Amino acid sequence: MKRIWVASAIAALAWVVAPLHAQLTYERLLKAEQDPGNWLTYSGNYRGWRYSPLSQMTRDNTRKLKLKWVYQMQTTHTVETTPLVADGVMYFTEPPSNVVAVDAATGRQFWRYRRVMPKKVNVCCGQVNRGVAVLGDRVFVGTGDAHLLALDAKTGAVLWDVEVADYRTGYSVTVAPLVVKDMVICGISGGEYGIRGFLDAYDAASGKRRWRHWTIPAPGEPGSETWPGDSWKTGGAPTWVTGSFDPEQNLIIWGTGNPSPDWNGDNRKGDNLYSDSTIALDADTGKLKWYFQHVPHDVHDWDSVQVPVLVDDEFQGRRRKLIYWAHRNAFYYVLDRETGQFLLGKPFATQTWAKGLDEKGRPIRLPNIDPSPEGTYVWPGVQGATNWFSPSYSPLTKLLYVAVWENKGLYRKGEQEYSPGNRYIGSVPMIDLPDDPGHGAIRALNPKTGDRLWEYKLQTKPWAGLLSTAGQLVFGGSDEGHLFALDATNGKEIWRQNLGGIIRTNPISYQSQGKQVIAIAAGNSMFTFELAD
Amino acid sequence: MVKQIRLLGFAALVWAALTLAAAAQAEIATTRNPLTSPADVAAGAKTFRSHCAPCHGLNGEGGRGPNLASGVFSHGSSDLDLLNNISDGIPGTEMPGLFYSPDRVWQVVAFIRSLSAGKGAGPKVDVASGAELFKSKGCQQCHRVNGAGGRLGPDLSEIGRIRSVEHLRAALVDPNADVRQRYWVVSLKDASGKSQEGFLMNEDSYTVQFIDMGERLHSVSKSGLKDYKVEKTSKMPSFKESLNTSELDQLVAYLSSLRPKGGAQ
Repeated sequence: MKRIWVASAIAALAWVVAPLHAQLTYERLLKAEQDPGNWLTYSGNYRGWRYSPLSQMTRDNTRKLKLKWVYQMQTTHTVETTPLVADGVMYFTEPPSNVVAVDAATGRQFWRYRRVMPKKVNVCCGQVNRGVAVLGDRVFVGTGDAHLLALDAKTGAVLWDVEVADYRTGYSVTVAPLVVKDMVICGISGGEYGIRGFLDAYDAASGKRRWRHWTIPAPGEPGSETWPGDSWKTGGAPTWVTGSFDPEQNLIIWGTGNPSPDWNGDNRKGDNLYSDSTIALDADTGKLKWYFQHVPHDVHDWDSVQVPVLVDDEFQGRRRKLIYWAHRNAFYYVLDRETGQFLLGKPFATQTWAKGLDEKGRPIRLPNIDPSPEGTYVWPGVQGATNWFSPSYSPLTKLLYVAVWENKGLYRKGEQEYSPGNRYIGSVPMIDLPDDPGHGAIRALNPKTGDRLWEYKLQTKPWAGLLSTAGQLVFGGSDEGHLFALDATNGKEIWRQNLGGIIRTNPISYQSQGKQVIAIAAGNSMFTFELAD
Repeated sequence: MVKQIRLLGFAALVWAALTLAAAAQAEIATTRNPLTSPADVAAGAKTFRSHCAPCHGLNGEGGRGPNLASGVFSHGSSDLDLLNNISDGIPGTEMPGLFYSPDRVWQVVAFIRSLSAGKGAGPKVDVASGAELFKSKGCQQCHRVNGAGGRLGPDLSEIGRIRSVEHLRAALVDPNADVRQRYWVVSLKDASGKSQEGFLMNEDSYTVQFIDMGERLHSVSKSGLKDYKVEKTSKMPSFKESLNTSELDQLVAYLSSLRPKGGAQ
């Protein structure tokens, strides 16, 4: 009898802890779309789609969504984390640089890693963190003091801790890393502090750096002619939003941020390569294969830090490897993923700075749009027509969904000398105009033409990304605190819930106990929803 | 004996702690900014405009951060308080620290001090007359001061700390020059045709919250409204014609005198 009890106990224990023992291999990351019960990378797959093949939630039953669980974080910082779910465990960051692992079924905590931060860490826009990466039995996280850590996935113990850069000179890590093969790809923040940007690859096992790709060339390297004098040393071009990976071409596709100082380009006359660009790097070496610069010599802070959406499809009569990109500068782009060739460009939001794009995709600037001492009004505003929050692509509707800002900004130009660790922006920007705050929208674009198919209007400008699902739904959130589900085909609202806190992150979907779950952080809490029985 | 030694040891510790605390207080009180020359003020102004003005305004008049031109600071007004707050930031607020050397921060302190130089005692005009004007001109119908008055306009109990004299004067002369979103006017007509008007308190994509002219709170769903609009103009009358220069000075002096009572200054 006792033997039976022990056997039962062991079986029960095995059931409880089994998820924690599953191995998360690179092959599983490659085939993430065939594993929709988990959410294994920042965007859900390497192609940057933020699309869930789960179809339990549909346009007919989503009105019956109910709260599954809530996890309250121990933070007062802005939460921008996108959770990952691997074999029954959810991993997410808690700002400034902590990591939490909880039971994805109940929200009960397994462990919490707390990063002790230096007294002074100056990050442009709050000590935020956008999430973790996972591989094997390890969780990888970047920190506000510019370190990269590997934690034990079962306990949160630190396995290795490497300095990515010196935080005292303005560097920080806010990006969710991306695992490619046996490497952890880690970007850097600091475009408002005069850093020299780069993208790094680290050995997942040891933490040893495999390669570094500087996003600003040193003197003598191709592109260095676009930086006069020593301006390249403090030219910015950070890599603060997770990119995508094309395994067939072995290419890491990543966006780069603004040149520094942001709003005064006087000491950096030239195109300032490779700021505000899409860069394609050989995954094994970090060597540049091609680039496309969206905003040459940017003076408006319009980073190219949107998630690259990689799609293989017919385009203008032939099958191509494409990149869809709704940019902060209010133009929507289609690029050829093999060469970086510009294929299409069209505004998807109001803009007053360019007459259009030429045949190579270079903007044809209008006069009097640069920042000035007294201020210049330009659409879009400082935060752009969209920003770091994720777009979503559905292979079912073949539409690209984008959270959009309709707003103008007052761009002021000032003088500022560089000093390590301090802001180097060259201006006094007006992010929100008190008398004209603008509004937001969720827009569905035909990605082959850039035409808008529908719009869901929002009173405020959203900082939340989008998730499309096989149930023909689009989930999004607002600054007002609402999580909503829209019909992916026409934008009609199907369901919404006030979560009581600003939503500044991206939704995901996973499966738990046989049910599809939606997860998103709002305020300082992680919320999950599932269908009522 | 052992107990006595322990007591003596405890007393010595208390004495040492009190001595250190007193010394720290003395340091705060006595440490003075060593860099106050006109050149330091100019250098501080340059740093201020680059790093501080985005929140505190180009001339320290306030915005996202508080007014720094009044000479009154919520987190300590001594030179050392200002040095520490600028260097380290202020926990629990959006105020970050600067990575500059103490000398460079002292220059910023010098500039901030220059903003309120000569203003410490307030304008040399009759504050009491200003208070009378505040009542006789009907300001209290909409504005509240220390618990007395209306609720439709901004509560002015601490307006002297938050806004500069120049800002207060401009607000009286031209109220429409800077109307904060909280005071935009909502007017709507519901499904039954009933009209309502009030000051915007909050708004999202689906609902609006406002206080009507009778100081009643409303939260209304936007769906089904026959008419809905938000006007960005102020309901406050301009005092440009109804006050002479002297009266305007008096009213501004009174408003500028309204500061927090007690607490850290």
